[in-house]
Amino acid sequence: MDATIDGAVQPPADAEVRPLVYRHSLATRLTHWISALALVVLVASGLQIFNAAPYLDASDKSNPHKRVLQFGATTTPSGANEGVTILFGHTFRTTHLFGYTDDGMGGQAQRAFPGWLTLPGYQDLADGRRWHLFFAWVFVLCGVAYIVAGLTRRDLRLLILRPSDVPKLWPMQAYYLRLRAEPPPHGKYNPLQKLAYTLVIFVFSPLIVLSGLALSPGIDAIAGPLTTAFGGRQFARLWHFVFMLALLGFFATHLVLVATTGVVNNLRSMILGTYRMRREEGTGP
Amino acid sequence: MKRRLFLASGLTALTGCGLGNALNESPVHRILGSAETLDHFVIGTRGAAKLYRPDDVDRDFRTNGFDPPSDTAYQRMLRDGFSSYRLVVDGEVENKAAFTLNELRALQSLTQITRHDCVEGWSAIGQWGGVPVGKFLALVRPTPRARYAVFHCLDRAPDDTPYYESLDLHQAVHPQTLLALELNGKPLDAAHGAPVRLKVPTQLGYKSAKWVGRIELAATFEGIGGGNGGYWEDQGYEWYAGI
Repeated sequence: MDATIDGAVQPPADAEVRPLVYRHSLATRLTHWISALALVVLVASGLQIFNAAPYLDASDKSNPHKRVLQFGATTTPSGANEGVTILFGHTFRTTHLFGYTDDGMGGQAQRAFPGWLTLPGYQDLADGRRWHLFFAWVFVLCGVAYIVAGLTRRDLRLLILRPSDVPKLWPMQAYYLRLRAEPPPHGKYNPLQKLAYTLVIFVFSPLIVLSGLALSPGIDAIAGPLTTAFGGRQFARLWHFVFMLALLGFFATHLVLVATTGVVNNLRSMILGTYRMRREEGTGP
Repeated sequence: MKRRLFLASGLTALTGCGLGNALNESPVHRILGSAETLDHFVIGTRGAAKLYRPDDVDRDFRTNGFDPPSDTAYQRMLRDGFSSYRLVVDGEVENKAAFTLNELRALQSLTQITRHDCVEGWSAIGQWGGVPVGKFLALVRPTPRARYAVFHCLDRAPDDTPYYESLDLHQAVHPQTLLALELNGKPLDAAHGAPVRLKVPTQLGYKSAKWVGRIELAATFEGIGGGNGGYWEDQGYEWYAGI
């Protein structure tokens, strides 16, 4: 800056170094909160649906020999009920968490996921499906609206990971790990944000919708190759579950970062749209 | 109804008061239910279910749902090889008729190996032989008023509610929609719906009603059973079960 050369200029005010910028469009903010709500409802109702057949097979039809994950309940010699989780053939005791757990009605019962994680809390496959299939439409239409708005406003491209971002991924991670004093120069979003958002918006969200559709016999009749691409109906159910875990992993990381990088500022930008720039954040491309 | 009681007690625990059926008719359910209309419109009954090879078949095809009918009439038919069984066709048809099992066997023209997808999430593969429903309907000739084929079954829920299912005529005449008489090359056994069951491979398993005793062609299913087109539909499940 020229100011440092002649030495006559006052140190810049905080507002100049950290200007308040309009960061998120109304479309981004609306679709963000609607899809966040949809994701929560879809996970909770999805676990409710999962509870009706609490196992996942890496095959087209159900096949216990290709079982990857199973929840169940056993009775110990002393007569106590025990919840069991079997992952890749390894058995874990998960009483009161998975297998034998909260029945959503104040008691304990043989159930894969507990009532406090499912929608409805008590076992009700019909209502679980109603919630799930309605909010699946909300999630899909919201995603389409987000993409269309992002393409129209041309702000979506700022979010997409480009080959030039790849060499900056590790320096950015090193900065987060306090191994590096400064983040690599970047635009509105840093390379790791771009990687995460690109994966969530363009990989995991489409895949979780497609793997869900692949479960339905009506879709299988129209688009058989879709179900086949996931390895069959049961395998698609397994993928659907894995993509849910991937999205939940993103969700958890997202919440931690929102909370640790200025929670008020972050929330304001996603509610009102305005964001106070941080010192290290460039405004360049 | 066993499941109703279970649900009601769940609601009681949740809300502190017995809402019972009221919740099923709540505005929330009406809004959530709109997805079914959308799914039926977008997905509908198109294309054809995947056909499998003989070595894909589950020899021990899983059974689910209710036990075979326990009444003496059914037990007697089971003992006499269903020689007294009649498949009654009535309602909006030109030729009201009653078919014996041998007459149905004479009509059998389709064997297909398809995957059965249960609403619970599991799948099994079976070889089903029988009479395409479309071929059958062509014989009895639905009147122009007929919009639905309602399948009345011989079994009852634990609370004595008769089981039934329904398809619209578009779904019913889909070339893979079958009045199945055989599973894996053998006549259906009691557990799998003997002597006649429905097999709808393009929709979830609960549409494939077992122990069909009567097919009623109707302009609407509103006055039948709980008015939602099927036993499980009356319990809150979707009538359109393609998803």
